Amino acid sequence: MRIKLTSLMVEDQTKALQFYTETLGFKKKSDFPVGEYRWITVVSPEGPNDVELALEPNANPAGKKFQESMFSQGIPLAAFEVSDIAGEFARLKRKGVAFKQEPTPAGPVTIAVFADSCGNLIQLYQRSS
Amino acid sequence: MLLKPDVFRGLCRARDMLHEVPERPWTVEEVAREAGISPFHFIRQFETVFGLTPHQYRIRSRLSRARRLLAAGRHSVTEVCVEVGFSSLGSFSDLFARRFGETPSDYRRRARAMVSVPGKLPRALFPGCLSLMASLPPSAFRSFREASALPL
Repeated sequence: MRIKLTSLMVEDQTKALQFYTETLGFKKKSDFPVGEYRWITVVSPEGPNDVELALEPNANPAGKKFQESMFSQGIPLAAFEVSDIAGEFARLKRKGVAFKQEPTPAGPVTIAVFADSCGNLIQLYQRSS
Repeated sequence: MLLKPDVFRGLCRARDMLHEVPERPWTVEEVAREAGISPFHFIRQFETVFGLTPHQYRIRSRLSRARRLLAAGRHSVTEVCVEVGFSSLGSFSDLFARRFGETPSDYRRRARAMVSVPGKLPRALFPGCLSLMASLPPSAFRSFREASALPL
């Protein structure tokens, strides 16, 4: 048993693919039509064999309710590791990303939180050296 | 941009308001005021955070709700149109067709044919997390393996 895949629900798969590739800088790994939706996954160019992230439709009302409640409570639904959190914060802010929390030391990590424009809050973290 | 805590709360409140169907729909200015954000900043901040303008968000919310109601099959297209907050059947049909690629009546007919348990939403139309994967053709998995072998 291995952990190779995880997923995030998104409001609009096309816009999500654009945000996760063009804004965040991930690479598209798969994109297949499935009925009215698509099976889309992205990977990090820094770790193409790491976990794949599926961008799934939030069409299921239960999923959407969960996503909205977590967002309102300020809870991120995914966390991505970075090696230079101040640099990423500046780069993404320049690209127009809205941050809820600027880089903040929190014990063994420094964290920042942004909105992915698809209905989720995402946490960035850098391990303290 | 960096959102202050009260602005973040205001934007979430605004999003919840845009899901509601009051007797008289709120104007964007009213939603902004309720959220405690100036209308000038409100539209831009909302779009940056949620990917759609408040107006687009409200339309999308109504259309998604309409889709669920139509799939459940208990209401006519006209009833659904009014229920989700549209006043014109013509603009409801146009917006619905533009978003989902078929008219509300075509969708209703197609969805009803897929319902096996009355009142339950057909899973193919409202997938749960990762359930899409089960519908992929075997060739997709071959492609996964080929894709993993390729340098990016």
